[in-house]
Amino acid sequence: MTQFIRYSLAILLISLASCQQVLEPQPTTLLVDNLVLNEPNDVQPVRIGLYSALRGMSAPNIMAGDFTADYVQANGTFTDNIEFGTKRITATNGIVNALWGSIYNTVYVANFILEKLPAITNISDATRKTVTAEARFLRGWANFIGAYTYGDIPRVTTTDPVTNRTVPRVAKATILASVLEDYQAALADLPNVTSASTNATNNATYLNKVNCRAAMARYYLYLKNWVQAEDLSTQVINSNVYKIEPEYANVITKDFISESILEVGYNLSDDPGTSATSLNNILVGRREIIPSNQYVSLMISAESGTRRETITFDAQQQRGNDNGWTVRKYGTASEDNNNIVLMRLAEMYLIRAEARAQQNKITGANGAVADLNALRARAKAPVVALTAQGDVLLAVERERIYELSFEGHRWYDLVRTGRAQAVLSAFSPNWNNRFELWPIPQPEIQQNSALTQNPGY
Amino acid sequence: MRKFYSLICWSVLLAILPGWLLAQGVRITGRVTSTQDGQPIPGVNIVVKGTTNGVSTDANGNYTINVPDNSAILLLTSIGLVTQEVTVGNRTVINVQMQESINELAQVVVTGYNTTQKKDITGSIASVSPEKFKDIPIASFDQALQGQAAGVQVSQSSGTPGGGLMVRIRGNTSISASNRPLFIVDGVPVEDGALTGRDFGGQTDNAFSMFNANDIESMEVLKDASAKAIYGSRAANGVVVITTKRGKAQKTSFTIDVQRGLSEIIRRPDLMNSSELLELQREAVVNAGQDPDKFGLIKGVTDGQNTDWINSVLRRGVFQQYQLSTRGGNDRTQFYISGSYRDEEGVQLNSQFTRYTGQIKLDHKATSQLSFGTNITISHVKNKRVKGDNFLDGVYSGAIKSLPYYSPYNEQGRLYGPNDPEYAGFPNFNPVAQALLPRFNTYTDKLLAGVYAEYEFIQNLRFRSKLSIDYNNVIEDQYESSQTAIGGYLENVGGQGYGVFSTITLATLINTNTLTYNFQTAEKHHFNTLLGFEVLQRTERGGNVQGRLFASDDFTYINSAGIVDQGGSGVANSGLLSTFGELRYDYNDRYLATLTARYDGSSRFGQSRRFGVFPSASVAWRLSGEPFMEQFRFLNELKLRASYGFTGNERIGDFQFLGTWASNTYSGATGVGPAALANPTLQWERTREANIGFDASFFNGRFSVTVDAYDNLTDKLLFAQPIPQTTGFGAVQGNIGKVSNRGVELTISTVNTNSAVRWTTDLNLSHNENKVVELASKEPVFRGYQGNGVSNTNVILPGQPLGTFWGLKFLGVDPATGNAIYDDKNGDGRISPDDGQVIGNAQPKLYGGLTNKVSWKGIDLSVFFQGSYGNSVLNFTNVTLLNTGTDLQNNQSRQALKRWRKEGDITSVPKYVYQDTYNNYLSSRFLEDGSFIRLKNVTLGYNLPKKWVNKAKITNTRIFASATNIWTLTRYSGPDPEVSTLDGSTTAQGIDFFTLPQVKTVIVGLSLIF
Repeated sequence: MTQFIRYSLAILLISLASCQQVLEPQPTTLLVDNLVLNEPNDVQPVRIGLYSALRGMSAPNIMAGDFTADYVQANGTFTDNIEFGTKRITATNGIVNALWGSIYNTVYVANFILEKLPAITNISDATRKTVTAEARFLRGWANFIGAYTYGDIPRVTTTDPVTNRTVPRVAKATILASVLEDYQAALADLPNVTSASTNATNNATYLNKVNCRAAMARYYLYLKNWVQAEDLSTQVINSNVYKIEPEYANVITKDFISESILEVGYNLSDDPGTSATSLNNILVGRREIIPSNQYVSLMISAESGTRRETITFDAQQQRGNDNGWTVRKYGTASEDNNNIVLMRLAEMYLIRAEARAQQNKITGANGAVADLNALRARAKAPVVALTAQGDVLLAVERERIYELSFEGHRWYDLVRTGRAQAVLSAFSPNWNNRFELWPIPQPEIQQNSALTQNPGY
Repeated sequence: MRKFYSLICWSVLLAILPGWLLAQGVRITGRVTSTQDGQPIPGVNIVVKGTTNGVSTDANGNYTINVPDNSAILLLTSIGLVTQEVTVGNRTVINVQMQESINELAQVVVTGYNTTQKKDITGSIASVSPEKFKDIPIASFDQALQGQAAGVQVSQSSGTPGGGLMVRIRGNTSISASNRPLFIVDGVPVEDGALTGRDFGGQTDNAFSMFNANDIESMEVLKDASAKAIYGSRAANGVVVITTKRGKAQKTSFTIDVQRGLSEIIRRPDLMNSSELLELQREAVVNAGQDPDKFGLIKGVTDGQNTDWINSVLRRGVFQQYQLSTRGGNDRTQFYISGSYRDEEGVQLNSQFTRYTGQIKLDHKATSQLSFGTNITISHVKNKRVKGDNFLDGVYSGAIKSLPYYSPYNEQGRLYGPNDPEYAGFPNFNPVAQALLPRFNTYTDKLLAGVYAEYEFIQNLRFRSKLSIDYNNVIEDQYESSQTAIGGYLENVGGQGYGVFSTITLATLINTNTLTYNFQTAEKHHFNTLLGFEVLQRTERGGNVQGRLFASDDFTYINSAGIVDQGGSGVANSGLLSTFGELRYDYNDRYLATLTARYDGSSRFGQSRRFGVFPSASVAWRLSGEPFMEQFRFLNELKLRASYGFTGNERIGDFQFLGTWASNTYSGATGVGPAALANPTLQWERTREANIGFDASFFNGRFSVTVDAYDNLTDKLLFAQPIPQTTGFGAVQGNIGKVSNRGVELTISTVNTNSAVRWTTDLNLSHNENKVVELASKEPVFRGYQGNGVSNTNVILPGQPLGTFWGLKFLGVDPATGNAIYDDKNGDGRISPDDGQVIGNAQPKLYGGLTNKVSWKGIDLSVFFQGSYGNSVLNFTNVTLLNTGTDLQNNQSRQALKRWRKEGDITSVPKYVYQDTYNNYLSSRFLEDGSFIRLKNVTLGYNLPKKWVNKAKITNTRIFASATNIWTLTRYSGPDPEVSTLDGSTTAQGIDFFTLPQVKTVIVGLSLIF
């Protein structure tokens, strides 16, 4: 018996020694919370994570801008896309939910940096300033998209989950004011970039003062502050950091061209693949969304010029409802151009053209028409020779289709210019003015009783 | 010299003294034989009643025992035999004939770490003997439980060979954690569920198909807290304890089993032919105000071809299984060795399951105190799989949807590939090509091995230590050529061939140490104690690599890929550290009580909640042992039982309590992004279980009945609670909510006639009421597939059971317009997702099985029915096959012939309008009654007369024919009410989504023992 007790004690002791190992294995593919952003070496990975959050937001943002608008038709089996194609968008739409989630994911990472970065010592002042400015800019960017997609949205300023679970919607104007505040704070601290910089990839991948100004030009355009919009877009154009690409074909097929102001990049190993929010998958792989016939005839007209290469035709795919056309801006994986361009210089010309036209600066070297023709020249399309303000504004609207279609602008443009009802009800019998805003995702309404749904949904 | 002799004399005297002392009294010898066939029975335990003095019979049935005096009574016991008491009297040679037991209460039952006789059980345990499934060609042992034990619900998710099954014991206890029971094979918690990594559209593989069910000696299902609490934090879903065959002290015997047969799908879906479909599609386009000719829907042209796709991808599968086993041994060493081969062709082209298994079990008694042994099970499986269910490029799923306008082969006999102008475009892929061209080979190796040693310090005080490993290695070797959907169509995946190679290793290392001591005081107080300590460590290790852009389809391995850009590897460990104990007590075999507890520490929980205690207590009263019951002579056994206790569920996956960040990328740089919110107080789910029941046996065991009623409440539910995304996260792990399961179980076994014709009946019926009692919020939590026009197919809602279906309520078709009418629940005048409501649930009200066996002379017949009543099935297939014109890319069910066509039509199928989604919203239109009764198996066997076979030195020869799944009675309109996509899901069970129906199999078999 004593022998037995001795043995069992020995076994017990050996076992207890292994207890730690058995009960506390370490995760190998995850980083535990309290190890994130508490030493200088953590700053860079978290900063990249912030940009990764921006990238996560980009595809659903493009889908909002283009799929809600008039020039697409559904051609597949995904209900989300059929809802967009037939204009029967519901609060349960997966893309509606995905954009919302990715916006607040970005806001979370930005707030996390803003909260934790001050506590880290031993980092250079420049790094601290840059990363803080980047966090503020991207929080502003996320809220800007949120406000123009969903209207009044919750304003999240902390990482505290308890607060954020019951946060109510605030007026769109309040959100937009906070966006401006973030942009202005970012502008002060973001790094300079000069026309001497030839690193097109770097200049479009990370934030600097010039691409911050480009975002502000867009901001003022949306707010109809024409003076500021003209001024800021001019600053971006004149900075000469970003240059118009000579061939429009490169805009479609190449990554990080010199025209690119802000571009989120993928490479072969992190390609979004067959995800429902992969633009490449939806537009090219599965062709869930194809261009509408009306759009096709617009794009293959002489006015469009070389921008017609945005879409291609394959007779083999033409059958039934399928017109055989495919949007090419998001290529194929093996072509390696899945990147999403969020801002490029051509948009600055169009912002300036619109701002100038609104101020009735139509002709001459500083007129709206000159800006339009700058893009037409590149596209080898006939020059515009309009003089009436209304005509020029319509020409800008059309030019934005030629130039920027499937880059996430159209629906936002139609809504902000008040043209949505006219254009979209002509396009689809199902159009309803409630679609000028996306619904708040159904799960959010259910989880947070402080939220209300947009009218009509 | 004298001194020397005297020393020897004294030594001899001393040496024989103990023997002489023991030999006082009477020495009895004898032989134990079988009443049935007169053969000697080895291994019968013989004890002098009221003492611990005992022996067992040798290989020839002989024994020798010393008894104190003539009044001694010998107690003879053996598994499966009726216990006998023999008074010694004046005899010195006592030959005993023993009868095979028809009294189930006398059987020995494995209760986890211990064994006991069924009559001494105080908890609720169901046994399934191999006799019940030996003639059914089951691929995995969990299938053997179907319809065989009350409280055990098994449904087979599909007809995929070696595929997954859903096994539930006393309902679903959990929302997010696993609901699978804990399966213990020879003391090891074995891997359950799927072993492979890659998704095949819904149907998984099944780890249990690695075992040869013919090697099983016994299966016990532990159902109540008293029986399960010894497994503590893993026991809430029930425990199935499986013991494989071991050697016997007998003459070496050999068994050969040969089975061959054919299998075929049980029922085909009823689909439209070309002309029916064309007419329908033209009508849909016209109803949408468009010109069908412009869609290329032209009579006489489009329907020129009429392909029956289901017939094109299905076949008759050949089934074969061979097994050779041998067992034998002597008093000191016993062995069991077996080897088997199984080859099962699936009914889908190119699907095949091939398995090789080997098993060795050795037990050796080194001294009277020390014994040791080993068990080794190895198996190798080659599984040729095909895609299905929720995959556009599936085989059966593709065939259902494929338009009959196209054919699989062109005029030259070449398979159509994707992008072929002669073939339908996306989302249609040639299902025949999808079956024949890809290579989806899965190679799985399993090693289940253990060594044990047992030492008996003093009589009945035993220490046993066992070290075991369950090692599983899976290799997935896949290639999809450029003529397949993934390899050829989806350029962003394959483009030009797509190859995957992945390996996964799942290993569990476990060391179990137990100390048992059985004793009695004052003759009437019997104690049975057990104390144990166990360490378990599980490692999951895997890696995979993908390649694409292959030079040609002749190169199918990644060595020849143009781009190898996707891959990964990882490892995860988890551990469990436990102590446990059990105390069983009975007074005079009449009043019984059991106390059980386990103290578990799990790596899956935060430090503050790492350890937990799971106690249980039970009592039983053997009324039949009371003197006042002796007047009721028809009653052999009557035992009342009651138990109460707590069990847990820790299977939520690893590291869920940690707040974590995962790596992510941006433009070629690597960073980190938030992955999960922390919850340091995360802990196991706890189930409070209460059970009452009785076991009764009448008329010499001719009629026995067991009834159990239970009331279980699981609280602290592990639940990934959805939270507003404004927090930056979609969900947080917490212990929120309660689920209750209440039910009644009835098991009846009768021997209807026991003369020349022996007819027995086994019936089991179970009723379980499952309900979510409480959740974090009253808001519905959606699960399952996304629905059209309404949130999801499934919902978790307080007051409703798990597996509740959600949707719009379909009120019928408006005879005036042909449009669907839905219930406007919130009364706002329009149909929106807010009108979604509970439309049914997948939980049956009643399920069970009925087996009748008749034997006469050498002939035996067994008829086994199994069924389920009161459950709904969501015919999600019909969202595509009865899609009211949402798209023109899918064939339609012939139910669409009943569609609304003109004003005044009264029908349940709405008008077809091209691209109109309204009529096809997810609604109760797709919900059907899933009740069924199935003739699961009929077996007819014949034992060749002994006098013939004995001449060839063969002990027994049996030939039989067995038919499985041959007849089903159901109102369900799809091919099979039992199937379920999302194999094993709890919240989204009972959904038929292009799922391959089960197969019916007819086999003939031969069994030779010599």
